[in-house]
Amino acid sequence: MTGQSDIAVPRRRGSMGRRLGAGYLFVAPNLAAVAVFMLFPLGFSLYMSFQKWDLFTPPEFVGLQNFRTLFTADPLFLIALRNTVVFTVGTVAPTVLISLVVAGVLNRQVKGIGIFRTIVFLPLAVSAVVMAVVWQFVFNTDNGLLNIMLGWVGIGPIPWLIEPHWAMFSLCVVSVWKSVPFATVVLLAAMQGIPGELYEAARIDGAGEVRRFFSITVPLLRGALMFVVVISIINAFQAFDLVYVLTGGNGGPETATYVLGIMLFQNAFGFLQFGYASALAWLMFAILLTLTAVQLLLARRSRLED
Amino acid sequence: MGERVIKAGMLRAGVVYLALIGIAWCALFPILWALSGSLKKENEVGVPTLLPAHPQWSNYREVFALMPFWRMFFNTVVYAGCVTAGQVFFCSLAGYAFARLPFRGRETLFVLYLGTLMVPLTVTVIPQFILMRLVGWTDTPWAMIVPGLFGTAFGTYLMRQFFRTLPAELEEAAILDGCSPWQVYWRILLPHIRPAIMVLAVLTWVNVWNDFLWPLVMIEHKSIATLTLGLVWLQGEYVARWPVLMAASMLILVPLVIIYAVAQRSFVRGIAMSGFGG
Repeated sequence: MTGQSDIAVPRRRGSMGRRLGAGYLFVAPNLAAVAVFMLFPLGFSLYMSFQKWDLFTPPEFVGLQNFRTLFTADPLFLIALRNTVVFTVGTVAPTVLISLVVAGVLNRQVKGIGIFRTIVFLPLAVSAVVMAVVWQFVFNTDNGLLNIMLGWVGIGPIPWLIEPHWAMFSLCVVSVWKSVPFATVVLLAAMQGIPGELYEAARIDGAGEVRRFFSITVPLLRGALMFVVVISIINAFQAFDLVYVLTGGNGGPETATYVLGIMLFQNAFGFLQFGYASALAWLMFAILLTLTAVQLLLARRSRLED
Repeated sequence: MGERVIKAGMLRAGVVYLALIGIAWCALFPILWALSGSLKKENEVGVPTLLPAHPQWSNYREVFALMPFWRMFFNTVVYAGCVTAGQVFFCSLAGYAFARLPFRGRETLFVLYLGTLMVPLTVTVIPQFILMRLVGWTDTPWAMIVPGLFGTAFGTYLMRQFFRTLPAELEEAAILDGCSPWQVYWRILLPHIRPAIMVLAVLTWVNVWNDFLWPLVMIEHKSIATLTLGLVWLQGEYVARWPVLMAASMLILVPLVIIYAVAQRSFVRGIAMSGFGG
């Protein structure tokens, strides 16, 4: 745009100027959308966390009151935090272990492996809502598949979704089932990047299959593993869809599956305490950022130690 | 000796196939069990057979009677279609600019834009809801379409990666011929990044199709609801009517399974990259 009025500048500068203006123009819609739907909400949410607001009466500034209530006056917060930690660990640890093995098996170059990969990755396309409804059917106490199969080996019906301590376990099972394919995709992609000569050399040195897996594959996958752990923690920590549909919007039975995502939704859209819910949201955000930063630091340190 | 090696090899292949079948079964059995349940009579859902003797197709007919399935199907297709088209267009345009067009502050802007991936939905859902209420879009299709229309940081990142792999000669020749940046993007480069478009389109479509929290917060009326919302309402109304619930689940699943079967490669590739943004 700038070059066009300048006669002394050769034609190419003109096209350069056009390209310069076009750059801003082409990224403008995306940046505008991010400003409106992300940055403004982010700031507004922080503002709300210091207010008491039900949307119908004017907001009232309450300082740190919302945060103080979370930590000292609301017993449900500690329950939700504890449940979320249990759920996160109960999802991420099995997911990483299982997907490591699954990726290892899917990495074998055998006939028909493509079909197996297709089947194993299928849950990626399935919505959490549909899966929760389907798993309710599997977990059903009276005539669910799991209890039928357990009945064959003489184990009595287990109240999977009804008994509080079983409910959290069941929730983790479904969550693991849903997260393994993603972790497997990432780990498998990383495994396929490991040069075959390394295995060749180890085989010549007499290392067995299992040995090769643990002393070549796993160490070389450290970056991908770290990545999977971070993403899985971030996702599990904010779990909502699955919990809401599998065990209900109140995080029942009792408070067994009352996680932070449910607490947030309930306080905002159930009790209309938008200030309080925003404070909770920012607290979750802060915890997630801290966790991610710690993991990245740990990853860097272990890299430096090598 | 050779025979022993072959035998050991066959044994090992056998073990691998056994493991593969076990893993595939774990991934598939809930879906198969649901499919089978959708064809059973209400009093035979506890019978452990995968193939019911008399498939009850009437369960599917009942779904159409109990919920406005096709209306919700249409809504979901419209939302997914609009958002996908918008994503592909705006992300590829911005991805092209970030990859190829020189402008001041380009790299800084890109890194900052990418940084917004760190912001979780948890923090933005409440203020976004209030924003929608402010403009009067709650319980309207606009709320389902507009926020996702103008691209995302992940989509732009994905497109930028693909644009960077294209050789510079492609556009240099076009620029010398006097093509404007728009013409370079639209006529010359866009046809070359069809695989990237496919990846982003499939990923976006599946995400919108499966979205739940946003429609749950935004929509109250059945006439503009999505399928996931419809399923949850059905589940709330007809507790433990398993055959009907499973039939409805299968109906929502089938379009996705078809897309997955057709575009599996693009989809899985996108997932491998999407982990980057959570």
